[in-house]
Amino acid sequence: MNTFVNQFSTSSALSVIKKAQAVTDDDEEFSDAAWGSEAGFGSLAKGVPSFSVPAVQDPTSFLRLHTDDHADPNCRIKIQHGTTTLAFRFQGGVIVAVDSRATAGSYIASGTVKKVIEINPYLLGTMAGGAADCQYWETYLGIQCRLHELRNRERISVAAASKYLSNLVYGYKGMGLSMGTMICGWDKTGPAVFYVDSDGSRLKGDLFSVGSGSTFAYGVLDQGYRWDLTDEEAQELGRRSIYAAGHRDAFSGNTCNLYHVKEDGWRFIGNYDITKMHYDGPGDVPGSTKVAYGYDVRVEGRTSSNPPVAAAA
Amino acid sequence: MATASTYAPVGFDFSNQVRNQFLQEKGLPLPKATSTGTTIVGCLFKDGIVLGADTRATEGPIVADKNCEKIHYLTDSIRCCGAGTAADTEFTTALISSNMALHELSTGRKPRVVTAMTMLKQMLFRYQGQVGAALVLGGVDATGPHLFTIAPHGSTDKLPYVTMGSGSLAAMAVFESGWKAGMTREEALSLVTDAICAGIFNDLGSGSNVDACVITAGHTDMLRNFVRPNERVAKEQRYLFRRGTTAWKKESVRDLIVSEEVRPIGGAGAEAMDTS
Amino acid sequence: MNPMNTAAQPQQRQFNPYTENGGTILAIAGVDFSVIAGDTRQSEGYNIQTRYAPKVFRLTDRAVLAVNGFAADGNMFVKKVKQRLEWYRHAHAKDMPLHAIARLIQTMLYGRRFFPYYVYNILGGIEDDGSGAVYSFDPVGSYERETCRAAGAAQSLVQPFLDNQIYFKNQQPAPGTAHPAHLPLPHVLSLVIDSFTGATERHIEVGDGLEIYVVLAKGRDLSGLEGFAGLQEVSSRSDGERIFVIRRELKKD
Repeated sequence: MNTFVNQFSTSSALSVIKKAQAVTDDDEEFSDAAWGSEAGFGSLAKGVPSFSVPAVQDPTSFLRLHTDDHADPNCRIKIQHGTTTLAFRFQGGVIVAVDSRATAGSYIASGTVKKVIEINPYLLGTMAGGAADCQYWETYLGIQCRLHELRNRERISVAAASKYLSNLVYGYKGMGLSMGTMICGWDKTGPAVFYVDSDGSRLKGDLFSVGSGSTFAYGVLDQGYRWDLTDEEAQELGRRSIYAAGHRDAFSGNTCNLYHVKEDGWRFIGNYDITKMHYDGPGDVPGSTKVAYGYDVRVEGRTSSNPPVAAAA
Repeated sequence: MATASTYAPVGFDFSNQVRNQFLQEKGLPLPKATSTGTTIVGCLFKDGIVLGADTRATEGPIVADKNCEKIHYLTDSIRCCGAGTAADTEFTTALISSNMALHELSTGRKPRVVTAMTMLKQMLFRYQGQVGAALVLGGVDATGPHLFTIAPHGSTDKLPYVTMGSGSLAAMAVFESGWKAGMTREEALSLVTDAICAGIFNDLGSGSNVDACVITAGHTDMLRNFVRPNERVAKEQRYLFRRGTTAWKKESVRDLIVSEEVRPIGGAGAEAMDTS
Repeated sequence: MNPMNTAAQPQQRQFNPYTENGGTILAIAGVDFSVIAGDTRQSEGYNIQTRYAPKVFRLTDRAVLAVNGFAADGNMFVKKVKQRLEWYRHAHAKDMPLHAIARLIQTMLYGRRFFPYYVYNILGGIEDDGSGAVYSFDPVGSYERETCRAAGAAQSLVQPFLDNQIYFKNQQPAPGTAHPAHLPLPHVLSLVIDSFTGATERHIEVGDGLEIYVVLAKGRDLSGLEGFAGLQEVSSRSDGERIFVIRRELKKD
């Protein structure tokens, strides 16, 4: 009946999925591959994993009804939003810095989220938007990057990896995926940063910040950014920018995770408590002036509430 | 056809109805009135009336008050249990209580339960359900014992046993199986206790303790926390914080004793001020 | 709504397969143990559907899954996870490691990205290296390893308490001392019990019964568990990781 229409209908993501389901199996959720060690990712070799879709007229609006907390703050399934992430390219590689807060409405669901996804030793992805979307698809991207290495006997370029992800999420356009990610790494061309989002945008650039706190991060980042930053200066700039966002944006905060990508792959620099940075500074770390970031500590004796001795007299 | 905006009828004003419906269609729901889950009951017995209530007050799924009073005073021999919006039951009963006292002074007679019932229903009807009070009214007057329920829109019932609130079904089940005419005070009190307990344990909106009130000709017994079936469980640990647990940014100590020196001016020979 | 308008206008109808069944779950990881707990009340609106509906399930001898949210989805999800673990046993002649179960749960939840299971999962147990672990998930599969996590109706009441008592948030250590990184088992158990008695006092959807699962690392003695009323062992063997259940009553109003 409908199968004929479905088979020859336009190739929207939904119809592709429905067609794939109709062709491959008969309502059976797990293939034989589930028996083996392919476990979760099942029959990935055959292509994109399959998803179950509710049997309603418009599955997209069904999903939006139950998950989109912008339209309806009381909807039952809350997907985590609110973030500050940044990445920039400079002479010494790529700096990736993120906050660690996950919010569901006004509730802080977690303060210890890992928003940098370690795709492989040379590639990092950042997480903004739906946490599960980023985690799942960037893990999936890691698998595809490894397959690329095995097939071509060389590492995938950052451009190719980001394009793979971009094409993949574009296939689901309009179905409710929510991702704003930066794919960062080092390849034959040197350090590279690509911005990829679920709308289908893919941008190459030197400097990006994504999330609700990005405006605050850009403020610090733009004024401190130079290509010839030293490694220590660059790391301090990343930390300081995330601190600024964590301080001013209610949906960002808790801690800052800092990564540095160099020719030999990424390295985790450290985890910094934003409140600690405010009152005590980031501690004895490379690039730090060892002074607290908070303005009332920084400008001690130079404000109206705490004026210099001369002015007070 | 006359629309709501051009036709100005005498009486109720529905001019916002069109706007509100439009907003609802746009996905903007009307503000939801806070409805307090409750079990309140009343029951007639040989010598008078027994009223009962639970003591839980909620704000959504959170227990706001574990031991609140839901049996309100109207007169010495008339009491009223309130369910629904907490503020509405509180202020409605307080207003009627005041009017009943004035009525007693102006007539010189003990006021009747029907009088309170009529005042309540007329007020609630005037507010078209906007005053969200669901009440159980009971008392004894010159004409004998009377028991009423008053719904938020103003309709009333006169019955030998009544229940109201979110636990009304649980409580009514107990009455339907256990109530009989001409019960003694003890029988009635125990039935009311069972009915409230049914609400406390089976309705999430009701909880904590049983309040009861026995009204007979010439005497009213307010039995606050008549049964306490839900005593607070002891904690496994004690949570005391060491002095200095809270971080502080700066410390300053100020002397609250201000030393002041008063020096009279004008000299000893000056005339004392006339302060009269 | 004006009754005159109902017939004239199109009425929107929505397929709503979800409901919220109340209750709360929580898990805490120790150095060589893990504690996973949940209340047993299942409710809908102001009605109690049952006073005993388990929300915490033993998956293997070293993994316990707590499921909260929509009970029907939760039960079905646990059933499917158990089925996959059974298949794994047949294929590999061993239990799936905890971190692998966590990843399995992610892919199973994400497989329903466009028709989500309305469930919040907390997985607790013992890692291959013998350490206690807790993994928490959102309904579509994002997950993270943590030391402690509360989820469900009283999440916002319990999690701040745990943050304060386990992570020592907003507490300064006494001069010259430091806060302990891991708490001993008896201390953790008393925090769990107090979390639930506290949540029962102030949240209407929490109560009736409490089930606490304790997973002990291989070779760990039972210190901290002796003398617990209502303790019951549910492990399949005594030479590996061991699982115990403690059942307690909670207030029923």
